[in-house]
Amino acid sequence: MTTTRINRRSMVKGAAGVAASAAIGSKASSVFAAPAVIQSGPIEVTYWTSFQGGANGEAQDEVVRRFNESQSDIRVNHEFQGSYEETAQALTAAVQGGSAPDMSLLSDVWWFKFYLSQLLQPLDDYIAAENVDTQDYVDSLWNEGVRQGVQYWIPFARSTPLFYYNAEVLEEAGLDPSIFQNWDTIVENTEALMARDGDQVSRYAFGHPNAASYIAWLFQGVIWQFNGEYSQPDFTITIDEPAGIEAGNFYRDSVADGWAGASAEHDVDFATGLYASVMASTGSMGNIRNTANFEWGTAFLPEKYTFGCCTGGSGLSVMASADDANKEAAFEFIKFSTSPEITAYWAQQTGYMPVRKSAVESEEMQAFYEENPHARTAVEQLPLTEPQDAARVFIPNGDQIIGGGLERITVNTEDAGEVFPDVAQTLEEEAEPVVQQLESVEPEG
Amino acid sequence: MGSLSQQQQVMLQRTLGYLAMLFVVLLIGLPLFWMLSGSLKTTQEIYSTDTQWIPESPLWSNYRDAWERAPFGRFYINSTIVTLLGAGLEIVNATLTAYALAYLRFPFKNLVFILILAALMIPPQVTILPNYVFFGLNGVIGELFGESWINTYQAIILPGASVAFGTFMMRQAFLGLPREVLDAAKVDGAGHLRILRDVVLPMAKPVIVTFALISLVAKWNDYLWPLVITQTQNMRVLTIGISYLFDAEGNNEWGIIMAATFFVVFPLLIVFLFAQRFIIEGLTAGATKG
Repeated sequence: MTTTRINRRSMVKGAAGVAASAAIGSKASSVFAAPAVIQSGPIEVTYWTSFQGGANGEAQDEVVRRFNESQSDIRVNHEFQGSYEETAQALTAAVQGGSAPDMSLLSDVWWFKFYLSQLLQPLDDYIAAENVDTQDYVDSLWNEGVRQGVQYWIPFARSTPLFYYNAEVLEEAGLDPSIFQNWDTIVENTEALMARDGDQVSRYAFGHPNAASYIAWLFQGVIWQFNGEYSQPDFTITIDEPAGIEAGNFYRDSVADGWAGASAEHDVDFATGLYASVMASTGSMGNIRNTANFEWGTAFLPEKYTFGCCTGGSGLSVMASADDANKEAAFEFIKFSTSPEITAYWAQQTGYMPVRKSAVESEEMQAFYEENPHARTAVEQLPLTEPQDAARVFIPNGDQIIGGGLERITVNTEDAGEVFPDVAQTLEEEAEPVVQQLESVEPEG
Repeated sequence: MGSLSQQQQVMLQRTLGYLAMLFVVLLIGLPLFWMLSGSLKTTQEIYSTDTQWIPESPLWSNYRDAWERAPFGRFYINSTIVTLLGAGLEIVNATLTAYALAYLRFPFKNLVFILILAALMIPPQVTILPNYVFFGLNGVIGELFGESWINTYQAIILPGASVAFGTFMMRQAFLGLPREVLDAAKVDGAGHLRILRDVVLPMAKPVIVTFALISLVAKWNDYLWPLVITQTQNMRVLTIGISYLFDAEGNNEWGIIMAATFFVVFPLLIVFLFAQRFIIEGLTAGATKG
């Protein structure tokens, strides 16, 4: 068994170190077993990420490079595994094949599934041993990775919904951005925000995404604004209660009354001028900046009876299957990646939310927000955000089940009173195995 | 209509024929043109609601940017290794198996053929997880060699080295060859390998070239299995290289992605240009023989 372990580690090393050696396969990698046996070099940590190329990928490379240069005991090798979904699938397969990495980036929807299968390492001992200032993490982001008081998932690349509007349209209409503070004032002014080409609408006042572009994520805030919710933390589905149905029918009316459109890439359609306003991810800001050839502005999400906005994006977890030394080393890297200094760097480069309060207050970040007022809107909204309801993130395919229902509402203009009971029933069926599995994983919960 | 002269009828037929050809050319050519045109556009041009067929000023830097965003040089080498070895093994295996099934007499021959047909029916996606476990530390390879083959060339190549489709296609082609020529060779004292090399292969050349092309294209374009079985950047192939350019939050620069797609398609286009006459011969070769 010991030889197997050495070989396995050396395999990863061999492949990472000298690419050509892998061509010869088993023979070559046993050559590389030598350094691993002696254990003279640094601990090698394998980290799977979804960031590669572009601004985000370069920032990820830089974070790893800085960590590796900051000390000599640990060497992090980061490997790109595709989108959030592909990374999670690769991880599922790797666990089966006994070749899982030491740590991985996992999205808001995926980490819980690995937690349920008990594949994630509880991090509390490491947090205590390393004196990590947990109070300095943005509360809503930090708490999302906690189950039964234990931390499994540390926020890293987190985004939130944000309201974007076409400032030129607003000015032409002689309106003030304050109309976006409440859905009622938006509805009153939709005619002024729209444009027509003959009978055809050439610009809608507002745009919805579809299920594939995460309408269920953006509607999460809206249902809260209407005092509703998708579900309670114990998986009791509440989307079909009156508040949820009122929120759903608000979406239906937006399309039925003709002031809102729906499309697959609603953020792009906003940037090309089809919509006067949209809710979209803070992560879309770079894209809108590159594509829009008009002045645009950002605002908090509108209110209805109250404010509501959820979080999203991804965080970091350590795999329970890793060797003890590697777990410790992997946590070192997580601590480094979410330190105030790196947080400030990462947030500026990528547009993701700073996960540390002290990073937001730093002079560096304040200067950055001075130059980038849109990024400031997002970070000012951040303390008001809440972790998402269990139905969307913890139920398998919950996002797409709710999204499919919302498509029936925004595309077919069906009554939410008929759609949401169907959605609730599907969610309840899908939740059953999760609830059962949870009972064995969290006995007293 | 009955008043058309014969000449007019010929003209009409010809015009319709050319129109049909034009339609097919557009059907196949437009996406390729759209890819090329997209690879030279700015993001704003791509997202513009007025369709822009030809970019105003070609943005050649998309190609340089795409090349720099991921190690495409390395991916070219990997794709070439995996494709040549994979297709080579597949062709050899398929030819030998098809020869045996077509000309040799051995017990349970039909059962073997039925098993191969059955393997043809299984969607490759279904086999991914079992294959992965097979190559893993806890699988057959782990038991035999004491280490996993995950993230190695042999693991990328081997599952595709014995695809039933090739065996099936070649067996059918071999059965269509004139039996008399083979008997003559046998009378002259040729062994099985000699017959295969000097008689069967030359006669079945169009089918073999066609199958070789199908195999090459399939290996070159394969995405899912190489994605699952490789874990490190230096083992990835070209198709995965394109996915390196997609952004986790959906902020995609399509110009750069189209440029990278061209990297992937280009070698195949060249191969097709050289080999297309064989394909047409090959695909129609069996058609009249029944």
